[in-house]
Amino acid sequence: MEKFYKRWFNILIIPALILFVVVIIVPFIMGITYSFTAWRGSYFKGSEHWWGALAGVTNYIKVFRSEKFLTALIFTLKFTVVAVIMKNVASLAMAMMVKKVGKGKGLFRTIYFFPNLLGGLAMGFVWSFIFQNIFSLVLFSEDSPIHIPFLCDMLQDPNKAIFAMAIMATWQSAGYMLLIYLNGLNNIPDDLYEAASIDGANAWQRFKNITLPMLMPAFTIVFFLTLSQSFKMLDENLALTSGNFGTRMLSLQILLSTRENTPANYGMAQAQAVIFFILIAVISVAQVSVTKRKEIEA
Amino acid sequence: MRESMSAKKKVSQIALYIVLAIIAVYTVFPIYFLFVNSFKSQKEIVASPMALPKTWNLQYLKNAAEQIDLGPSLFNTLLITVIAVTVIVLVSAFTAWLMVRNKTKASKALFLIFTAAMLIPFQSVMYPLVSLMEMLGLKNTAGLIIMYCGFGLSMTVFLYHGFMKSVPISLEEAALIDGANIFQVFFKVVFPLVKPITVTTVITNAMWIWNDYLLPFLIIGNNDKKTLTLSLYYAKSLSGQYGNPWELVFPAVLICAVPILVVFIFLQKNIIEGIAAGAVKG
Repeated sequence: MEKFYKRWFNILIIPALILFVVVIIVPFIMGITYSFTAWRGSYFKGSEHWWGALAGVTNYIKVFRSEKFLTALIFTLKFTVVAVIMKNVASLAMAMMVKKVGKGKGLFRTIYFFPNLLGGLAMGFVWSFIFQNIFSLVLFSEDSPIHIPFLCDMLQDPNKAIFAMAIMATWQSAGYMLLIYLNGLNNIPDDLYEAASIDGANAWQRFKNITLPMLMPAFTIVFFLTLSQSFKMLDENLALTSGNFGTRMLSLQILLSTRENTPANYGMAQAQAVIFFILIAVISVAQVSVTKRKEIEA
Repeated sequence: MRESMSAKKKVSQIALYIVLAIIAVYTVFPIYFLFVNSFKSQKEIVASPMALPKTWNLQYLKNAAEQIDLGPSLFNTLLITVIAVTVIVLVSAFTAWLMVRNKTKASKALFLIFTAAMLIPFQSVMYPLVSLMEMLGLKNTAGLIIMYCGFGLSMTVFLYHGFMKSVPISLEEAALIDGANIFQVFFKVVFPLVKPITVTTVITNAMWIWNDYLLPFLIIGNNDKKTLTLSLYYAKSLSGQYGNPWELVFPAVLICAVPILVVFIFLQKNIIEGIAAGAVKG
């Protein structure tokens, strides 16, 4: 049996391997290499090959001196913190309510999940209308009984835009994260809560001492997903603000970077792409190892 | 005592329903907007954005369909999505299955590399990838499909890998003794048993490819091979020099969303259960 599987493994793994090497591994290695050269996209400056255009760490120095990159980096980090918190709080609260409700669980799950399927760019256009026309001119305008200045003109101010983008991102993905949390909640045995109630634990103590620790596996997944989603976000950023008014995130910065210099400096754009990869890898690995440790403690 | 408990419970249930209903209305609210404003003129949209249209005028939908080249765009998007998802699912399921069954060091190392690759964001390889595809003469629809397949693999192999462990090997052995070949074992025994995760992977990959903007933007650009999302982007950005052309944007977005809406209405139960199943194992 083992030999049978092994023989077929060696043959049938080939398509996956070819796709993987061509689409990910080779471009990944090319990308790291090119980030140390004077790459101009279709040619290398002063040479026919990359090894003739080596530029050391010049691209990286330029990146760290670029105000646009640093602004985008800080903006992305701020957005990620806000969006991760909003998505987690919203989806966990919704999951706990859906679990407690008697009838209609399925209907609520379905409605909440739906926005997930729609495109970020397409719905971003709709949300930009909501923020500009509905929020600013109708619901929360000066003439409205519930005038909230913070919710007006959110897309024209970098600090408000963080929340506008997070509101839309939460609307999109809370229904998905809810499903993961709901699964986690369903795996907590009821007698734990009963025993705690008999011992006189109040609702907050039960939440803190039973629900949260028992939910750690679900938390690890949701945290990982929301973190990388938020850090990499592009479509919503493009549709809502186009990165104007200091609201450019790193993904958009990497994309626009080659369009803003003539001749287009692909070497420098690629250096930003490599830094982007390192950041996301470090943050994700750190997060998973920290929350995993909490899982074991719990 | 008991009566007051149950009365209290009733009140809290009603309160719960009210909160959940408010969240549901909030969730549907942008879709309601999208729908009612797809039948209005620019003037009417700006003047009364929340109201139902005065007349259900189809001319804006018609105009939007023309602007985004509905026929060709829809065809291109369908073609790319169907082929890429089929390849991703079949290749990943086969690969994950053989990785689980073949417990050699090479197999384990390969799984580790596939999993680790999930950390590589598309943006960090996109420029060299586009340049590589250009060298290979694949800066076209075929290349786009190949790239989706490559990028979909990691996550999909990972999801199947978790699920394949629960397939009992004795069933496969029995089929082999009965004279089945490896493909028959896979399609008749293994594949039906992992159906929940297949639903998950089909949905997540299909939605990602259907809605993707960046990859078609880099590979296809503004020509007749555009996908729906890309056509929407160009229709908006090319006509948007003088403010936002809402009477074009709303119906165009609606047209892009309708196919998803239809699929969701028919498959909602499978989708929700499939996603939940994938979430646990993932």
